[in-house]
Amino acid sequence: MSAAQAKPRPVRRSFGFNKIFLILAIIYLLVPLVATLFFGLAGSGGIDFSTFQQIIGDPNFRQTLILSLELAFSTTILAIVLVTPTAYWVHLRVPKARPLMDFLTLMPFAVPAIIMSLGLVELYGTNDTLTSVLSFGLVPVLSYDPFNIIDTPQLLVCAYVILSLPFVYRPIDNSLRAINTTTLTEAAYSLGSGWWRTFLTVVLPNIWPGIISAALLTFSTVMGEFTLASLFGIFTFPIYLDEIGQENAREAASLAILSFIFTLICVLAIIFLVRRSAGRIRDDSELEIVATK
Amino acid sequence: MKLQGAKGPASKVDVVRGAELEARPRRLRGTPWVYHLKGWLGLVPFLLFCLLFELLPAVIIIQGSFTDSITGAITLNNYQRMLSQAQNLHAFQTSIYLSLSSALVGAVFGFLAAYGVYRLRTGWLRNFLVGFSSITANFAGVPLAFAFIATLGANGFMTVAIHNWFHVNLYDIGFNLYTLGGLVLVYTYFQLPLMILVMIPALNGLRPEWREAATNLGASGFTYWRRVALPILMPSLIAATMLLFANSFGAYATAYALAQGAINIVPILISFVVAGNIQIDTGLGNALAVGMIVVLLAAVSLHTVLVRRASVWGGRP
Repeated sequence: MSAAQAKPRPVRRSFGFNKIFLILAIIYLLVPLVATLFFGLAGSGGIDFSTFQQIIGDPNFRQTLILSLELAFSTTILAIVLVTPTAYWVHLRVPKARPLMDFLTLMPFAVPAIIMSLGLVELYGTNDTLTSVLSFGLVPVLSYDPFNIIDTPQLLVCAYVILSLPFVYRPIDNSLRAINTTTLTEAAYSLGSGWWRTFLTVVLPNIWPGIISAALLTFSTVMGEFTLASLFGIFTFPIYLDEIGQENAREAASLAILSFIFTLICVLAIIFLVRRSAGRIRDDSELEIVATK
Repeated sequence: MKLQGAKGPASKVDVVRGAELEARPRRLRGTPWVYHLKGWLGLVPFLLFCLLFELLPAVIIIQGSFTDSITGAITLNNYQRMLSQAQNLHAFQTSIYLSLSSALVGAVFGFLAAYGVYRLRTGWLRNFLVGFSSITANFAGVPLAFAFIATLGANGFMTVAIHNWFHVNLYDIGFNLYTLGGLVLVYTYFQLPLMILVMIPALNGLRPEWREAATNLGASGFTYWRRVALPILMPSLIAATMLLFANSFGAYATAYALAQGAINIVPILISFVVAGNIQIDTGLGNALAVGMIVVLLAAVSLHTVLVRRASVWGGRP
């Protein structure tokens, strides 16, 4: 403020200049949302909710939504259960593995979902000596009955876990760094607590914000993931949305708004549940980059 | 060594003292080999999972790109075909053009908007805008495509509204949502807020003292930006642009839902392979995928290098 008083003109001008771009950006971001809402609600003259009624009455809507919710829940649980103890273990016992973990958890950023699906279809759909040997014989087991996982929801869940690694590992790892994990663990050990007990009763409650943030981001990603589901031929909610969109633009607009509201709820939950309790805003903001486009 | 004292048969006192002695070396450096092995064993479930669903798919793609899909012989034929067929080269060109232009548009306007957010004095408004940005940055894929069709499609809300207000049909004056230009407009929707999210921490690293010092030394606002602020921000700006590039380069769902495969970009070509399209065989699909990974790895490694430089340069507290 004192700068503005001492040298009013240049500061105020640059302030207004930047405000213009901010306002333009907000308009650009708001217009499609508002227009879609109106487009979805506009019936034959005036606002009506018949499109929503139509959608809710559609059995495919319920079926795909339930399947997507199931996939999202299983992915979230599997990702958290797999990553959290591992991140803690790395932090405590094998700090040397950290570059490896960084590599493995950042790789999904460099390998888009479309390439992953191609690789998975080839890996579990064809016979290949090199990969059979490299996987210790697990790939052939998973490629044939009774454990054939090609094009099943199970494979989809596993792929989603990989896809969500970047934003599951990072918040959890950051939380582990922030709470001085080693000291806490040594304190718990010295009081006679074992590894699992320390993990569950001491470390876990302390990194809860990171876990919730990771879980919500995973959940929201899976609910919107289209690429893998479409290439595996599994009829999830985004596929249903795409199908509807080819026939009925108005229903598609209403469904798009529903998806937006869903994203809104997830992000708001992160902001209010996690940020408030973590008490810091700046460091987390870049973590909210969800991979599937 | 010390440990051996604790192992032999000994009196109760010796055992207790031995346990005391043992406790420290076991945790810190005693029997390091076994300790480290046990440490790595704890990682096995995670590593196995990554191997099965992350690494081996990549391995089989790379291997497949050097293999003839019919005879199984080792060959460079796939790459040769990828680089000699106009359709593939054109797809790469379109993909890079699309990602680069949406990244640049998103970066420039996102940076300016982020600066606007950074200069806001009202805390709640700032938090609100950051929250809004993270919501819109995550609003992508199929719903985003349909939101834009509902807005700017041939019968979209804004198309009709503009026609009613200004008596101009956007589609008559050369606008078309279902083309590459339209796709850039749609991609910018998730790029711009992402840029805002990434740039706000970088802008927060600019200390007011630097501006005061520059002003004291007689610098104008323009000189401050040219000589002080932009050089400090430049690495993060470039890194953020690379991030946006990578973000849109692999995007498939948005483009697919918007144009149903009519726009020739690499992810859509690859999807033809998985879907069993006869025009493209597996070998070529693998080569295309490797080509994509190469482009992306170049972007990501540049990003990593620049971020590292930025943290050295900025000297944040």
